[in-house]
Amino acid sequence: MVSIRHLHKTFGARVAVDDLSLEIPRGEIFGLLGHNGAGKSTTIGMLLGQIFPDHGEAMIGGIDVFRNRQHALSRVGAIFETPVFYDYLSGWNNLRIFCEYTAPFDPVRGREIVRLVGLENRIGERVGNYSHGMRQRLALAQTLLPNPELLILDEPTDGLDPEGIHEVRNLILRLNREQGLTIIFSSHLLGEVQQLCSHLAVIREGSLLFAGQWQPFVNQERWIFLQTDRQSEAEAALLSAGLLQRCHPDGHALMAPDRNIPDIAEWLVHHRHRIQTIRPQEKTLEDFYLDLVRNESRPEGVDRLKAEN
Amino acid sequence: MFWRQLCNELLKLFARKRTYIGFAAFPFIQILILFLLRLPKAQKAFSNVLAGGGYELKEYYSGLTMGVLLIIFTFALLGVLYLALVSGDIVAKESEEGSLRLILSRPISRIRLMAIKWLACLVYGVTLVFFIGFTSLLAGVIYRGGLGNLFVYSPPEHLFAVFDTREGLWRFCCSVAVLAAGYQVVVSLGFMFSCFNMKPAAATILTLSVMFMDFVLRNIPFFSAFQSWFIAHHAVAYIRIFNEVIPWWNIAESLLYLWAINLSLWIVGSAAFCSRDFKSG
Repeated sequence: MVSIRHLHKTFGARVAVDDLSLEIPRGEIFGLLGHNGAGKSTTIGMLLGQIFPDHGEAMIGGIDVFRNRQHALSRVGAIFETPVFYDYLSGWNNLRIFCEYTAPFDPVRGREIVRLVGLENRIGERVGNYSHGMRQRLALAQTLLPNPELLILDEPTDGLDPEGIHEVRNLILRLNREQGLTIIFSSHLLGEVQQLCSHLAVIREGSLLFAGQWQPFVNQERWIFLQTDRQSEAEAALLSAGLLQRCHPDGHALMAPDRNIPDIAEWLVHHRHRIQTIRPQEKTLEDFYLDLVRNESRPEGVDRLKAEN
Repeated sequence: MFWRQLCNELLKLFARKRTYIGFAAFPFIQILILFLLRLPKAQKAFSNVLAGGGYELKEYYSGLTMGVLLIIFTFALLGVLYLALVSGDIVAKESEEGSLRLILSRPISRIRLMAIKWLACLVYGVTLVFFIGFTSLLAGVIYRGGLGNLFVYSPPEHLFAVFDTREGLWRFCCSVAVLAAGYQVVVSLGFMFSCFNMKPAAATILTLSVMFMDFVLRNIPFFSAFQSWFIAHHAVAYIRIFNEVIPWWNIAESLLYLWAINLSLWIVGSAAFCSRDFKSG
């Protein structure tokens, strides 16, 4: 659906995006992760033809964004961090105005979308009276008009309360499942990305650190949570016996590739350590992300997964 | 779609309270000027000018004369300011607020967007000038109780003219139309600055600075040989409508010159806009 090849952009002396290449499959919810200033928004800006790259190309549905922007964006909807509307106009007029930059506004489709985002009772009011959550929902509504195939959502849950986040998340999932929309989802909320995205790209200082399916990588590592009566002594002994690869002070430990929990439990019992807790610990996206961005060397398996994806 | 998009742009423009500051300010200043014209010293100066040409005050101190006077005074004082204020906002304000990014995520070409915004500004400019023309005449008529004969006096244009009611009203309407066509150069100037990466206030101030510099330089005797290069020289073509014999060719030449500038400013502004990066923060 989306193909980015060797995109490079500098602002003055600062490299914002450095030789970035990405493939985003049709029908996926694709997460875009990175710290502030990593280059996520610049990448989205280039994808929408709002920022001109120094070199490289971006294609949407096989159409070059920089050569044929109008055609490439004809089935794209996008929102950015803080949705900005014309506060002095009604929600309905805002929807009509933004929609008609793409195609004539169909009131029937408009009402359908307004119902979908749950704004049917307030759509005639001035946007100036809307809460942040309502603005976000209006922003989502405008992306869905007239009929997009690709949604680009840059921090769509930013500033929402937990209930609002839950609603937006469910709406995104519904749009993806029921209408088959491809969604690019950029967010700082790793929990949201974890629940929504099967594929993701992690960008650091403009460079791509990882792209592809992230769950296999997380599941393949064998972390456990271990507590014994003599914690540090047990950890040191397990490391030297080759049963563990790495231990964290908080009790998390990485098992050696050919070992499992019964092996470790048996060894501890045999060496008279009293086990208080031992259980498998699945890594979260947060662990995966932090490992990726903090470590100079990439966590084990990333390069292999990159190649596979 | 172009027509729909232009209508939407006009809706955006005319639904804003800010757009009406100009419309609200003019009636106020017109009343103020009429009040000042009631002062004995002002009446005496008026009478002296007419007497110098062999005319009587009561015959030409009329609604039409007041209408023309009000246009000349109010437009010089405020017209340029409000045209610059709205046109300086048209792109820069949306860029500053962030709605422009949302528009540019749509499949509309930047050139088309610029054409729509410029045309919307021109519609505002023309509307404002016609509003000033109408309210000036209305205020004059209410003040003097009727149209009456027309007397126009403009020393910078070496103009001293009198007309009967019918001829005066026709010339008044023509001059407002020429004023509307000529002063769109302020709109285009504001629009051009607005297209660059700057704050709306900066675009307005730059527009006013250029117009002020142009006016000052035009009035410096050293530059009298270059009169025809100055915007102000051509923008006052509306006053030439009141010459005894209307210099149509001269007026057309001025409007052509101003519209060539308009078009050039639009091209420069659009080129700057098309080459800009739009990013958050």
